[in-house]
Amino acid sequence: MYELNICHLYPDLLNLYGDRGNIISLSKRCQWRDIEVNVQNISIGDTFCYDGYDIIFMGGGQDYEQTILQDDLMNNKRKGIIEAVESGKVFLAICGGFQLLGKYYRTHTGKDIECIGALNLWTHAGETRLIGNLVFQVDFLKTQNHNGYVVGFENHAGKSYLGEGVKPLGKVIKGFGNNGEDGFEGAVYKNTFCTYSHGSLLPKNPALADHLIMLALLNKYPDFQGLAPLDDELENLTRNTLIKRFTE
Amino acid sequence: MKKFIVKFRIGVSIIMTKFLVFVLRLMGRGGTSLPGKIALKICPELFSEFSDRFRIIMITGTNGKTTTSRIVAGMLDQAGIKYVTNKSGANLSSGIATTIVSALSLFGKPLVRTALLETDEAAFKTIAPMLKPELVIVTNFFRDQLDRFGELYTTLSNVREGIKGSPDTKLILNADDSLCASLGRDVPNQVIYFGLGDKVYPDEYIEANTDAAFCINCKSRYNYHSSFFGHLGHFQCPSCGYERPHAQIECTQILEYDNLSSTIEIQMPSGKITVKLALPGLYNIYNALAGAAIGRILDLDENELTHVLEGFECGFGRMESLDVEGRNLRLILVKNPTGFNQVLRYLLTQNDNCVLAFIINDKLADGTDISWLWDVDFEILSFIANKIRKFFVSGIRAEDMAVRLKYAGIQHENIFIEHDSEKLISKMIEASGEKETLYILPTYTAMLDIRKNFKERFNLKEFWE
Ligand SMILES: [Zn+2]
Repeated sequence: MYELNICHLYPDLLNLYGDRGNIISLSKRCQWRDIEVNVQNISIGDTFCYDGYDIIFMGGGQDYEQTILQDDLMNNKRKGIIEAVESGKVFLAICGGFQLLGKYYRTHTGKDIECIGALNLWTHAGETRLIGNLVFQVDFLKTQNHNGYVVGFENHAGKSYLGEGVKPLGKVIKGFGNNGEDGFEGAVYKNTFCTYSHGSLLPKNPALADHLIMLALLNKYPDFQGLAPLDDELENLTRNTLIKRFTE
Repeated sequence: MKKFIVKFRIGVSIIMTKFLVFVLRLMGRGGTSLPGKIALKICPELFSEFSDRFRIIMITGTNGKTTTSRIVAGMLDQAGIKYVTNKSGANLSSGIATTIVSALSLFGKPLVRTALLETDEAAFKTIAPMLKPELVIVTNFFRDQLDRFGELYTTLSNVREGIKGSPDTKLILNADDSLCASLGRDVPNQVIYFGLGDKVYPDEYIEANTDAAFCINCKSRYNYHSSFFGHLGHFQCPSCGYERPHAQIECTQILEYDNLSSTIEIQMPSGKITVKLALPGLYNIYNALAGAAIGRILDLDENELTHVLEGFECGFGRMESLDVEGRNLRLILVKNPTGFNQVLRYLLTQNDNCVLAFIINDKLADGTDISWLWDVDFEILSFIANKIRKFFVSGIRAEDMAVRLKYAGIQHENIFIEHDSEKLISKMIEASGEKETLYILPTYTAMLDIRKNFKERFNLKEFWE
C-alpha cells in the first residue's frame, strides 16, 4: 500500500482563487488508485518539518494576508522550505507562492521585499494586473496523444523573471505568463514547480497532477512502477473545450 | 454663466434619459443602464446637483444587497413614503443615474423625495460622497469576483472611503462581520449594528473561515465564541481587543428553520418580535435584520415591522419560485463562494426528491475567473445525494462545473452536461416526479438568459416592472 503526505502551507492565508482545488485533485487522484493520502495544514506558529511530507503546496494570497505571514515565513519556515526544495521534494507553488519562493519582490516604490530565496527568480511590481485565461505548453507533458497544453487563469500584478539554473515551466500560447514579455510561464527547479496558473490548475490538467503524484511516489518508493490510468473523460472534455475556446 | 451651462446640461440630460428609457422599453429592452450612462456623459454633476433634493438610502456590500433593498422598500411602503429605486442589479453609477432621472420631472423637479439605491461596492466610493446619503446599509464583505473587484481589503477600503466624506450619514452595519463592523469604529457617524445572538445557530457544516481570519487592526488570529458562516460570528481579537460590537438589532432565537421559511425572534431596542420569514436561509435572516433596522428608523411599530417582514417575497432571481408543468421550479442566483455555500446549506433542508442544475457563465458580469467554484463546499451535497435524482450542468463553463462535482464525490454517471437551456428544462422535468422541486442555480448572466427563456415559455413577468 502506497501512502503520500501532502503539506498545505498557510491554507488560511494563501487561499485565493480556489487553490484548494489542487489539494482536492491530488487527494482524489491518489484515493481513486488506492494510494493513501494525508493532508496536513501548516500555518502561522506551526513547525514545518519537511522530511515528513512528499508533496508541499503553497498558493497565493491577498496582499494584506501576505504581510501577516511574512515574519513567520521568513523566521520559522524559510530554512525548511529551502531544504525541502534542495532535497528534491515535490513542491507546487502558485501565484503568490511562486513569488515568495523567489529572491525578492520589488514594489512600485522601488523597495525590495526579501523573499525565501529558494529559487533564483525575482518579481517586480507591474503597472497593470495581468488577468485572464492562460494556456501554455509544457514539454515534459507532451506525449503522442497529449500536446502538453495546460490551461488556467492568471491574475497577478507582479512580473517574474527567471535567473540561471531555473527553467520556465512552459511556453505561453495564450495569456501573459511570467511577465508578459518573454513568452514564458512558470518555473521549474529540481522537483519544484511554480506557476501563475490557478483556476483551479490540477483538476482540469490531470496529466500535470499525475506527473506530481508520480514524482512523489518515485521519491518515496524507488521501485514504483507507474500510475494506473483513470477515467478522465470529464477532465479532458473540460481541458479540450477551454483550450479550443481560448486558442482559436 | 457657468451655472446656466450646468442647468442647461441637466435639462438636456433629463430629456435625453427619459426619451431613451421610453424608446428602449418600447423596443422590449430593459433600459436600466444606457440612459443613465449618457446622462452622466452630458452632465457629470448630476449626482451632486440632486443630492439635497432627495432623502437617500444606499445599500452596499457583497451579498444580500438586492434582497435587503426589497425589504427596505417594503418598510418604506408600510410607512407610506413614496420613493424611487433601482431594480434588477442596475447598481453602477449608470443605473443609479437612470433611477435618479426617472424621479425628476422634465423640468428637474423631484417627483418623489426618497431614493433607495442598491449600490455596487466598487461604485460606492465615488457615488456616495456626491449623493451624501442619509442612511447606508452595509450587508457584509466576502470574496467576490477577484478579477473585477480585486482584493477583499480593497473593496472594504472603497466603502470606507465612500463613507468618509459624510459624517451625518447613519450607518447600519453587520456586527458579526469583522470587516463590515470595522467601518463603524472611530468615525463621527451614528452607527446601528445588526447581527445574530451568541450561539443561536448550531454550527454543524460550518465551513472553514477563509475570508478574514486575522484581525483587521493587528493581524492576530481572531477567537470565535460563535461561528455562523464564512467569517461571520462573534469574533474577538486576543491582542488588541477588537471584538464583535453590541448589536441593537439582534436575532436572539431561531425557532424554526427549513427549506421554505424560518421563524426568528428579533430583539429591538423597543422590544422583541417573533417573525416568520417567507425567505429560507441564514443569509436572509441577516437581510431581514438590516431591513428591520431601517423600519425602526422610519418609526414603524412592532406590528408594522412584523407585517412587512412576513409579507416579503423574493426579488429578482435571488430566489424565485414558479410552477412549471406540475413541478416547483426554484431559481437561485449564485455569484460567490459564501453565497453559494449558503445556497447549498439551504438545499440540505430539502426533504423530498429533487433535480439540481448549475448554470455557470464566465462573462464580465459573472466574473471571468471561475476558480471560486473550488472554494465552494459541494462536498456537503453528499448528505442529500440520495434525494437528488440528477445533477445537470450548463452554461459556458458547464464542463468545469461537471469536474467540480466529480471531485466533490458525485458519481460521474449522475452528472449531465446540457448546454441548451430549452432542453435543460425539458430534461429536468423529465427526470423529476409530480410536485417535486427543480432547483436551478445560475450565475448572473445565466440568470438573465434563463429568465428570457422562461419569459417566452412560461410567461414570466419582466424584471424591470
Ligand atoms: Zn487585533
